[in-house]
Order: sequence, then C-alpha cells, then structure tokens
Amino acid sequence: MAGKGVKSLAEAMRGLSIASQTFRTTIPVRSSPVAAVRTMATEASPVGDITRSVDQPWQPLTHVPLTIYSFPALEPKSLESWSTRHLHLPLRRDILHLAVVYEGDKTRQGTAQAKTRWEVAGSHRKMGPQKGRGMARRGSRQSPLLRGGGKSHGPRARDFSTKLNRKVYDLAWRTALSYRYRRGELIVTEDGLDLPLPDDFLQLAEAGLLNRELEDGFVRKYMGEVMGNLGWGHEHGRTTFVTGDRRPNLFTATEIAGEEGRALELDDVDVKDLLETGRIVIERQALREMIKEHSSDLESRIVVNGIRKEGPRLGTKLV
Amino acid sequence: MPPRLPLAQAAQAARCFSLSIAAPSQTTSLVSLFAGLSIQTRNAHILASISDNKGAYHKRIRKGRGASSGYGKTSGRGQKGTKARGTINPWFQGGQTPLIVSHGQLGFINHRAPEMSIVNLDKLQQWIDAGRLDATKQITVKELIESGIVGRTYKDGIKLLARDKGGLKTPVDIVVSRASASAIEAVEAVGGKILTRFYTKQAIQRLVKGKSKHTTEPLPVGAEHVEPVLEQSRTTKKHMYRLPDPTSRWEIEYYRDPAHRGYLSHMIQPGESPSLYFKVPSEKPIRATKSKAKAEAAAEDTLF
Repeated sequence: MAGKGVKSLAEAMRGLSIASQTFRTTIPVRSSPVAAVRTMATEASPVGDITRSVDQPWQPLTHVPLTIYSFPALEPKSLESWSTRHLHLPLRRDILHLAVVYEGDKTRQGTAQAKTRWEVAGSHRKMGPQKGRGMARRGSRQSPLLRGGGKSHGPRARDFSTKLNRKVYDLAWRTALSYRYRRGELIVTEDGLDLPLPDDFLQLAEAGLLNRELEDGFVRKYMGEVMGNLGWGHEHGRTTFVTGDRRPNLFTATEIAGEEGRALELDDVDVKDLLETGRIVIERQALREMIKEHSSDLESRIVVNGIRKEGPRLGTKLV
Repeated sequence: MPPRLPLAQAAQAARCFSLSIAAPSQTTSLVSLFAGLSIQTRNAHILASISDNKGAYHKRIRKGRGASSGYGKTSGRGQKGTKARGTINPWFQGGQTPLIVSHGQLGFINHRAPEMSIVNLDKLQQWIDAGRLDATKQITVKELIESGIVGRTYKDGIKLLARDKGGLKTPVDIVVSRASASAIEAVEAVGGKILTRFYTKQAIQRLVKGKSKHTTEPLPVGAEHVEPVLEQSRTTKKHMYRLPDPTSRWEIEYYRDPAHRGYLSHMIQPGESPSLYFKVPSEKPIRATKSKAKAEAAAEDTLF
C-alpha cells in the first residue's frame, strides 16, 4: 500500500503540472453552485449534494469548455464552449456496441468462395461402371468425396453488412467523443497538427546524407521521446492522431513507430477507432467536421416557413 | 441514482444546509484534490465492456439440433404428413381442380407502368397551413419532395388526387406529373393554377439535387435552336441537365390534352385533337351526301 501511496503522490504532482491540465481539472460551466466531486459509488455523499431547496430550480449543464492546445508543447491557445449534446452525452454502452458491431459487419470482406460440384470444370461422364469393379461406385469426377471435386458446404461470397439507423449511428459518434472528453482523453490541437522534426535532421535528410535505415531509426527514437515525455506512448495505451488530411511527418513517424500510436485521416476514422487507444488527439477543424457530420439526430429535416430547426451550434470561441 | 430522501426530510435538510448552499466554498483545497486520488483506477478497455441492452436480442432458435433444445427430433412440426415434410402451394384445394387451372389467370401486372407518388388535396392544404409548403411561389415536384409530403422518395412522378376536395382553400400554382379531373376542378375553383408536366425518375432526382433547372416549357425543336443552346452551355460554368419531354404516344397525348392541363396543350392547332391518331370528327358527315346521291340514283333506277 505504501508503494501505491507514492505512486498516487507522483500522479498528484503530475496532475498539478501545467502540461497535463486538460479537462479533468477544468470546472464545467454550471450556474448552480458546484457540487463536491463524488469519489466512489458506494461512498456516502453529503446530504447537500443530493437535495436542493424548492426555490432553486434544477439547471442542467448546457455547455462544457474545450481547450485548444498547441502541439507538441501543449500550451493552451484558446478556449471554446461546446454544447453538452455534442461533447457531454451520457455513456450509452448499448449505442456504442451497436455502432461497433455495425462497422465490423460493414467492414467484413465476405469474398470467401469455394466451388460446388456444379461449378468445378470438367466432364460429367461416369467414371466407371456401376457394378463389377469391386470398388465403390463412382459417378462424376466433381463429387465432393473425391480429390479435386467440389466442396459440399463451402463458403460463398456474400455481403455481411447490417443496417443501423443513421440517427443512432451519429449518436454513437458523439457518445464516443463525450466518453473521451469526460475522461480527459480528448486532446484538441490547433489546426495543422503535425510532428515538427528537428531542423538539422531535415537538412541532413534533404541533402541525402542519411540512408533509409538511419532516417527511420532517428524518427523512431525521436517519436518515442516525444510521446514518452508527453506520457502518450505505448506505456500509456498509445495515441490516435486525427487530422483532416495526410500530414507527412506525423503519418510517417506513426508508421515507423507504430507502437507509440497511429495517425488517421478524418475520412478513415470510425467509432471503434475513437474507442481504441489511450487518447484521441484531434485538430480543431477535424473535430468540428466530425461533429457536424454526425449530428443528424439533433437537427430537423422539416422546413417550416423556410426555416429548419437546427441543432446546437458548434463550439464557440470564449478566449 | 443516489438515494432519495422523503420530501418532508428533504425540505428539512434543505433548511439545515441552506447556509452552506448559499455560500459554497469556492477554493479547492489541496487535501480535496488528493482525496480524489484514492479512486482505484483500472485501465479496463471500454471495447471490452460495451454490449447491447439485456433483452434487446432474441437468441435464434436452432431447430433439429438435439433433443434438449425442445426442437430436436421433429423440429416442432409434429408427426408425419404433408405439414411435417414440406409446404403446399397457396392455390392447392385439396386435390379438387384449382381455380387457377379451371378458370386460368385473369389480367396481368404491368411492370413498365410508371409508378406515381400520390399527393391528396387535404394533405396539400395541411402542409401549406403548417408552413411546410410556400403557396406564394410555384409548387413543383421539387418543392413537394423537399417538403417531405411524399416521403422524400423518387418515383416516376407525382399525381395530385382530390381526397376531401372541398378542403383546399388556398389558391396554389402547382406543377405535377398528373392530376385527376376533380383535383383540377378543385384547384381552379379556389382560383389556383395547375399544370401537368412530364417528369422521369432521373429528372426528378436531378431537380432535387440541383443538377437541373425547372421549367414548364418543352425543349426547343429545330435547327435554329442548336447554336443558342450550345453557346449557352459553353458560357455557363455549371452544366445543367434539361428536363426531358415525353416520347411515347400515350404520354404525348396526355400532356397535349387541355383537359389534363398538359404543358404541351398549347401545341394543339384549332380543330386538332390531342390524339396523334384520331382526327376530330367533323360536323358534316361526308358519307351522308354520297349515300343520299346513291339513294337517289337507286330511286331513279327502280322501275316500280
């Protein structure tokens, strides 16, 4: 237990440092007085936490703050306010399950195909007389009992994809992002997220003085150091970077040092990717597009007097 | 959910804690920060713990897979007989000569017939009242589909029907594929305008996607129109598809007919019929004179 205590102290000190002041420590916008943080489900909470005087109406959380960081320094650059319906949805494990299964089904290739006895090429001539050979009777050469014959119940190419209502799928996207946000595992960076490589290395590489092996070795080591310093590497569950398009340094580095994390373009991301690694590092514009693309359950398709009821606004800049 | 207090107790508690609620301590002490660290954190992955709600799935019954399943030996089909072995055709009458054999099949299904979405006048009025359709502007097939009155589906066209035809109060300017006679009457009775125009499924799709512009004019025909159209397509950046005109006889005749308020009805010359085959019967029967002369000649020929 002593060891655990020391570890906890170390964690506490790290928690207080500037670099990791992500979201867990930011206090959500709440008009009513902030309730004490609950620690364990079984722990008795103070009575003041669960009761409210009649004249104070219940005012649920409507917006949550989101800090935009620089990368890799992780300096807070700006603060945005996002709707709870975008980034603070309750964790619905069933919805996430539906989305992950839907994606898995959709991704199945389903091209396995074996030939039946009717598809195997060749003559269907009887192989020998019905009787008198002293052996088993033989019909056609394509019989599944024979070598080179067809397969009785082999795989057939088919479509494994299942269906999921779009509104449910979109809810799953934002539920996954909300889960990450609440745990402080959604790190939003400024636009143009890329890994800055040292200038002298780039000069040497451009001059062609390094061979492929040296280059890769350097990038692997450099990436490992960057991720290790941030506490984002393989020891901390890896990191998924999401960018709008392919960023050469970042994507190459994650391909070389795959144990530290992965980088994905926005179009290649799905719900399962958002749930997989230790944290999601996404650039601001990619997050906006992702949420905008997946909010069909928030907006109405009915136009009344030329106006369509739209969902909550995407994040607005506070600072 | 945290345990709830009975209302009386809650009110009492609220009074007790009113002081602390009124002035909450804003400063978070270091101790409280450290208290939060006593949580046992486990890095169990969320992907390992997501599952659908209990009861959301029914486990598939696997028939004929062993006696313990309850659907083993006879798979729930009972003992022996036709129902245990297979199915019978719906037309089978127990061995008596079936109707389909004694009388044969009546009629057929025309798979090539265009499939129309239906809009009724009462629903049209509802949509206008709700503000979902703008009656001050022309309502075309594009507007109808975008408003969701036919369920945002692309069929071969939209037909206007007159359910509750007294219900239409707003004068509308509407363009549809087809309209029933009573629908035309009802729209015009309240001072509205109705026109039927030829659409295809693809044309409607392009209209809704903004790939073509709506017009009630037919395509220009003739060599003199070629150059201006080409010139326009060269100068405009975005290519716009043009709406097609009908090519089949039945459809041309439909849209030529003023009774259908067809968009080709202006092409009919005076004294011409919408039909491409039959002429309008003239008032003077031609044969009457001939037969009269014949009768006269016959009368002259007769001796008695």
